[in-house]
Amino acid sequence: MLTHQDVGLSASEDQEIVQLLGRRPNELELGLFGALWSEHCSYKSSKNLLAQLPHQGQFVVQGPGGNAGVVQLSADWDIAFKIESHNHPSFVEPLQGAATGVGGILRDIVAMGARPIAIADILKFGVNEQAPALLHGVVEGIGAYGNAIGIPNVTGSLGFSAVYDANPLVNVLAVGMRRHGLQVGADGARPGSVLILIGQGTGRDGIHGASLLASRDFGAETEEMRPTVQVGDPFMGKLLMEATLAVVGKGFADAVQDLGAAGLTSSTAELAYASSVGLIVDVSKVICREQNMSPYEIMLSETQERMLLSVPKQNLASVLEVLAWYELPYAEIGRVVAGDFLRIEAGDQVLAELPTSVLVGSCPRLPVMHDVRIWDAGQPSVLEKIGLQSRWGYQVLGHPDCRNRSSVYQRYDSMIGTRTVWGPEHDVAVMHIGNGKPGLCIAVAAPARWAAYDSYAGGIGAVVAALSLVAAQGAVPLGLTDGINAGNPAKFEPYRKMADLIRGIGKAAEIFEVPVTGGNVSLHNETEGQAIWPTAAIGVVARHPNPEHPIADAPPDAGVRILALNPPANPDLGGSVLAEILGRSDRYPVLDLRAIQHSLRFLVEIIPQAETVGLLGCRAVGIGGLFFAVAKSLMTKTPMALGANLVLAGDADARFVFNEMAGQWVLFVDPEFQSFWDHVSETHGVSVVDIGWVTGSPEVVITAGRSLTWPLIDLWRAYRKGGVRDVR
Amino acid sequence: MNNDLSVGIVIFPGSNCDNDTIAAIFALGAKPVVLDYRLRSLPVLDRVILPGGFSYGDYLRSGALAAAAPIMDAVEKAAANGLPVLGICNGFQILCERGLLPGALLPNPSGKFICQWQTVRVANESPLFTGLHQGRILRLPIAHHEGSYRTAQGQLADLFDRGQVFLQYSDPEGQSHGLTNPNGSVANIAGVQNRNVVGLMPHPERAMATYLGSRDGADLLASWLGMGENAVC
Amino acid sequence: MTQFRLTFLVGLKAGILDPAGQATRNVLQHMEYQVDDVRIGKWIQVIVSAKTKDQALAIGQEMGERILSNPVMEYFEVTVQAYEQ
Repeated sequence: MLTHQDVGLSASEDQEIVQLLGRRPNELELGLFGALWSEHCSYKSSKNLLAQLPHQGQFVVQGPGGNAGVVQLSADWDIAFKIESHNHPSFVEPLQGAATGVGGILRDIVAMGARPIAIADILKFGVNEQAPALLHGVVEGIGAYGNAIGIPNVTGSLGFSAVYDANPLVNVLAVGMRRHGLQVGADGARPGSVLILIGQGTGRDGIHGASLLASRDFGAETEEMRPTVQVGDPFMGKLLMEATLAVVGKGFADAVQDLGAAGLTSSTAELAYASSVGLIVDVSKVICREQNMSPYEIMLSETQERMLLSVPKQNLASVLEVLAWYELPYAEIGRVVAGDFLRIEAGDQVLAELPTSVLVGSCPRLPVMHDVRIWDAGQPSVLEKIGLQSRWGYQVLGHPDCRNRSSVYQRYDSMIGTRTVWGPEHDVAVMHIGNGKPGLCIAVAAPARWAAYDSYAGGIGAVVAALSLVAAQGAVPLGLTDGINAGNPAKFEPYRKMADLIRGIGKAAEIFEVPVTGGNVSLHNETEGQAIWPTAAIGVVARHPNPEHPIADAPPDAGVRILALNPPANPDLGGSVLAEILGRSDRYPVLDLRAIQHSLRFLVEIIPQAETVGLLGCRAVGIGGLFFAVAKSLMTKTPMALGANLVLAGDADARFVFNEMAGQWVLFVDPEFQSFWDHVSETHGVSVVDIGWVTGSPEVVITAGRSLTWPLIDLWRAYRKGGVRDVR
Repeated sequence: MNNDLSVGIVIFPGSNCDNDTIAAIFALGAKPVVLDYRLRSLPVLDRVILPGGFSYGDYLRSGALAAAAPIMDAVEKAAANGLPVLGICNGFQILCERGLLPGALLPNPSGKFICQWQTVRVANESPLFTGLHQGRILRLPIAHHEGSYRTAQGQLADLFDRGQVFLQYSDPEGQSHGLTNPNGSVANIAGVQNRNVVGLMPHPERAMATYLGSRDGADLLASWLGMGENAVC
Repeated sequence: MTQFRLTFLVGLKAGILDPAGQATRNVLQHMEYQVDDVRIGKWIQVIVSAKTKDQALAIGQEMGERILSNPVMEYFEVTVQAYEQ
């Protein structure tokens, strides 16, 4: 007899189930509970924490709970977007793990009736010998799927640390567009409709949760028979995407749900629960790729490239016509009825029947363990004066977290779809949508080191970093999506760090009034008791004022003034690349969110009219600090003919140019408009400091007391230098 | 503008540059006609394009499965009768697999997909591209995993002798050498022609507007549509 | 030391989805061949020097396990023959 341990449930959860049902579940039913009450499907450890995030906003069309969040971009277009992780599968089999991760998040977007138009990858790797091969495989997998299905990869984030040696992170953001007003989701199924499963034939792919049961069925000698690796098929994914979009675009389906974790189990149960209907599913109708699959295996299989449609009878013929056109395998596997249950049948035999209010709606959530933020033990911040050294410039640019990413992003098609105005060679993506105005600005940020010693401050920093990037384009943020990656939530430390990280995200999202419309939580990212840094991958979509003419992120000519917008009054190296190079583990500093809010609003207001105030370029300061921001601006010019001369106030030092306090920007300004910028503090309530000018000689010169010079070609060499081995 | 010019665009399962190509042809004022790969005969057309993408997932060999699609019999027949056919990227691979163009496209020597802006030089003036003069340099995106053009032994000299080399990867000044060769193609070849059939690896349909990084693709396609001289302005 | 030719056939394990094989099968069927299934793998030839045929085969087994196949999803078969240039 199968027990609760076999399906990963605790004794108290088992009791809860018996009590709610008023009987003991049979084996298949227990298996369904095991899947849906798992951390992966139920978010039981994090749901109460995520409830603290702000979900409402004036542009929100669909908040958390659906397959993806949806925000309104314009009168015509809505944007669906979400981050998802595929960390563990990518460690086991990097290429297929990453590829199926891309396929999975794209199906989430398609299930909202939106056509995917962009993906972005947020990756973290270790620094051990295995790391380069993992990075190679993951990039190959993301490219193999994204390139083939034809969705451009437009921006990304890549970071390294020993904490990811055995737990690399592979988070992918997908963004799609749909006509404003189109309502598609899992919540519209109505009694009388037919359930159609379309796409790939179901196989024994990835039946993790069922491993014990499966081995009972197979015996150890057939171990080889049982694949745990799911293989992505972007070709089938493309046909599935086109067919699904054709069906929903014509309004033929009343509900759509993709098949992800726990396959048919979670998709049927969640569709039934979201639509407040009953479902009757006949597993004998499911098209199987392999012989003799048990009902349990069919319900739990995680075969990719499948989608569940609920189709009103009168539309059935039209839907089948679409599916035949795309030569997509399909089967009518059940029907929608009134009620609150999921019934699994095989022919005329009833195998399971469970109320979905219990199956989906009653998983006990873990209470929030503590409400008070506890400071982590880091060293006290580097507040003491620290003289600038020229080698730090090269070390920071050559640090794996800063280095040039072209060897990665050139393996992704970033231009397909002809919407990419700015792609991965910039800090943010700018996309051309519809007739051109407004456009879409997409940014991701995952500054993991900032959260290493204070995850609350790191959570705030991650949100500020993402918002600063889109603000540098004058774009109005519409919504955020968060990928939370943390350790084992059953242990106090990892749980507390995750809780603080989420609180930090919530705090910043609330202050800046940008809602979080969905995301993903990946837990148990630890090996031999060593957890990763609590890592937030933040994605933001924003309304771009003028996508055909994005404001530059580099100066046009020599003579242009360089200004710092909102430089910190007390620059602090905590969490920075330089601090790591210096061997320090300082807490990430507390940011002045009010001042940042003023600056964000200022940029959104001023950039659409940049010409009238002589604003020629803008770049957000992030990882690597102001030094990296200025150097990158100069290095992106071809040929590299410009330089910068920065003259800092007498008491400024290394902290000023290398701190990574998010919410500051470098501005390039026409000197003829100097008077506007001299008085901008009074007129607009923001802090702007003139720090120097652009020169015609390709080098960075900084004068703070004494002068230091970095030839641009040498900085470029450091920036281009490959390999990840020399990370501390 | 020439609204009467109808351009067939073949969609194979897995084609993914079809929409971009349709939009480009439409933007140039010609009439795009979508052709399903199951068709066994072509309607009356002035031109045919095999667009880029991953037909049949690029499985087996890039272009090999699409080359066996029903519509390719009709395309082959029409090409023999003089219909201009243009294959872009995967379309180029399909034309080579079908034997309508000489040579083959092998995996890039790096073993990796490559997506970047690339300058190419018009190596030979072609009657198929009016107004596109020899030596003209075009800035176009490339995006492929199998773009390394190779010919059978002894074939290369013939290709040059007959003026069949259409585009070569070059630097912005038009010089072709190893450093400007992104994918190990023999003699930096980026596009070839065989009478009225042309194949090229770069994606002109992605270079249709300054805000996308270049308008050179519009020039190239306009010239192929016979709108060369006036479209370049 | 003698030279031997090791021939490896590497394929996806039973049950692992083979998208390339599936797409190729469908096209062959469209071309009206009576095809029931296609699976695609790799053929690898390695020339090694070893004292005996058995030793060459043992080396081949090790190579197959360590690098030439991905044990997570692939199986391999190796055969050995004497090699003459």
